[in-house]
Amino acid sequence: MYPRPIPQTARAARALYVALVAAILVVWLAPLLAIILTSLRATNDVASGNLWGWPTEFGAVDNYERVFTQSPMARFFLNSLMITIPAVIGVLVLSTLTGFVLAKYRFPGGRAVFAMFIGGNFLPAQIIMIPVRNLMLTLGIYDTHWALIIFHVAFQTGFATLFMRNFIAALPGELFEAARAEGASPFQTLRHVVIPLVRPALGALAILIFTFIWNDYFWAVVLVVNDTVKPVTAGLANLRGEFVSQWNILSAATVVVAVPPVVMFFLMQRHFISGLTAGAVKG
Amino acid sequence: MPKLQLSRVTKSYGAFHALKAIDLSVDPGEFIVMVGPSGCGKSTLLKAIAGLEAITSGSIVINGRDVTSAQPSDRGIAMVFQSYALYPHMTVAENMGFGLRMANRPKEEIRVAVERAAATLRLTDQLEKLPRQLSGGQRQRVAIGRAITRSPEVFLFDEPLSNLDAALRTQMRVELASLHAQLNATMIYVTHDQIEAMTMASRIVVLNAGRIEQVGSPLDLYRNPDNQFVAGFLGAPRMNFLAGTVEAIVGGVATIQLAGASAYAMPLRPGADLAPGSAVTVGLRPESLTPTDGAGIPGTVRLVELLGRETILYVDAGPLRSVGSDTGTANLTVHVASAVAAPPGAAVRLRFNPDDAYLFGGDGLRTLSAPKSI
Ligand SMILES: Nc1ncnc2c1ncn2[C@@H]1O[C@H](COP(=O)(O)OP(=O)(O)O)[C@@H](O)[C@H]1O
Ligand SMILES: [Mg+2]
Repeated sequence: MYPRPIPQTARAARALYVALVAAILVVWLAPLLAIILTSLRATNDVASGNLWGWPTEFGAVDNYERVFTQSPMARFFLNSLMITIPAVIGVLVLSTLTGFVLAKYRFPGGRAVFAMFIGGNFLPAQIIMIPVRNLMLTLGIYDTHWALIIFHVAFQTGFATLFMRNFIAALPGELFEAARAEGASPFQTLRHVVIPLVRPALGALAILIFTFIWNDYFWAVVLVVNDTVKPVTAGLANLRGEFVSQWNILSAATVVVAVPPVVMFFLMQRHFISGLTAGAVKG
Repeated sequence: MPKLQLSRVTKSYGAFHALKAIDLSVDPGEFIVMVGPSGCGKSTLLKAIAGLEAITSGSIVINGRDVTSAQPSDRGIAMVFQSYALYPHMTVAENMGFGLRMANRPKEEIRVAVERAAATLRLTDQLEKLPRQLSGGQRQRVAIGRAITRSPEVFLFDEPLSNLDAALRTQMRVELASLHAQLNATMIYVTHDQIEAMTMASRIVVLNAGRIEQVGSPLDLYRNPDNQFVAGFLGAPRMNFLAGTVEAIVGGVATIQLAGASAYAMPLRPGADLAPGSAVTVGLRPESLTPTDGAGIPGTVRLVELLGRETILYVDAGPLRSVGSDTGTANLTVHVASAVAAPPGAAVRLRFNPDDAYLFGGDGLRTLSAPKSI
């Protein structure tokens, strides 16, 4: 039988397994740990090279305070939220609509539209960089939040559509026929049947898209220049010039930047429920 | 006025014709059961009536109103699916009230309708549960309840009991029949279960390859099938089909020579288009064959199914030839209404009354023997 109960496997194999997991965790988390530890040190320690020893004084409160008072980090952070949240909502709404239509309706050109959504993902950013920048200039939204919001919505909806379409296509077809026979309009079907059943998918997608957009550096550099619109990723690069060797401050800023995707994960976690469609069909 | 009238209903998927000019008229309160082999178009016809599939040509009239191009919800139908198709995230009450909610009916009206349906189906204690917390039989009742709350003109059922185990199926069959009587509703019911068809139907519709083969009361179809397909489809175990030749026809009675056995005189139906020398198929219901001590078709028992009250014998009847059998010999199924001790390998002789035999031949293998009394 597979998987086999743990006690049945050999002792040595089990020990090796635990050791391997521990080793991978250390390698994987080491950079993160280093940054967190550095963000807790005072400037003197960092300057004198005491990076791993016991700190002579703790600078945590001071470091994090300076990130928000002496650098434009608060502004960058706000910009990131103002870009990422509307973009994620836009992607989720659009991809639920497109995914539903592409999964459950047959219409001429449907396959071509779907292929285009998928194909768009393969366009390298470097190739569309100049056209996108020019487009934003023409639209008069270059160097505004809108440039990044609109671009991210457009670019992420392709992948998100593929994701949602496949999830919705897996829902039992008779549910849709039943809803139609009972007089539900396509929009009512979407609202009362589809969305409640694809909640886990929407939750997962929200985390994924949020992280993509929040972590985007390339387009943040290409489409905005002004500090008043810059998101955290581009802003963090700015700080490197400002706080040249103050690694404790840079580390603190980095930790601040890394927090929202983690928060997002915990917010969305309650939507990850398996077996939502249990009981719909068969018995 | 008929409740439902189908005229020349045709459905094509490209070059494939799933429904070929279906004509059917259903009276109010009728329980129509549609049977036919898998893929013959039963579900397609049901979906066409429901409006879930647009038909290619023809017309559908429900309660005197032409609904051929109406939306499913405007046709006055409710459909119960084979898979139940319950909304898994809604409670039983929400499931049953969904259609009314979509139609923006007042809350109070929905509550009353749901409670009445729940009482009819003994679901009152389950109203707040989710489908996954219910047994198969309860889920099926919820699916039926969802249909009832909308008070449709016509109920459509697509193999609603096929997911249930045998015992539950028997119970639900009885419940459905009494529900039909209680609601005095018009129902169209698709099944491939012989017993459901025979016991529940006011009339059975036999479909084959997108065409109606025959419509009639269960007993009528069983006793007087129009053709070999219907004869073979209804009745379990299946009718035996043997190859034969017409020797002579005198005064409406044909003398049929069974390949490898003796000749039998069988009365023909008036106007039967049959000439001496033509090949025919002789149909014998398993219960028409009886083991005998006297003269009869010789054979060897191959298998015995002792069912307690009755016995099914599978007999190799050497010299006879089955229609469609390539082994050359005939395997006869014999139904005996008592327990018979016949060990495999035992020799038996089988006799039958030629008046009980069916004769099929000619175009479409139509029935040529005289009609039987019911
Ligand atoms: N959407 C479709 N496209 C093409 N052929 C179809 C479609 N739906 C059903 N068919 C065909 O129509 C025939 C009848 O199907 P159906 O009505 O489901 O049969 P059943 O009698 O088993 O319910 C089948 O041969 C099936 O392959
Ligand atoms: Mg079917």
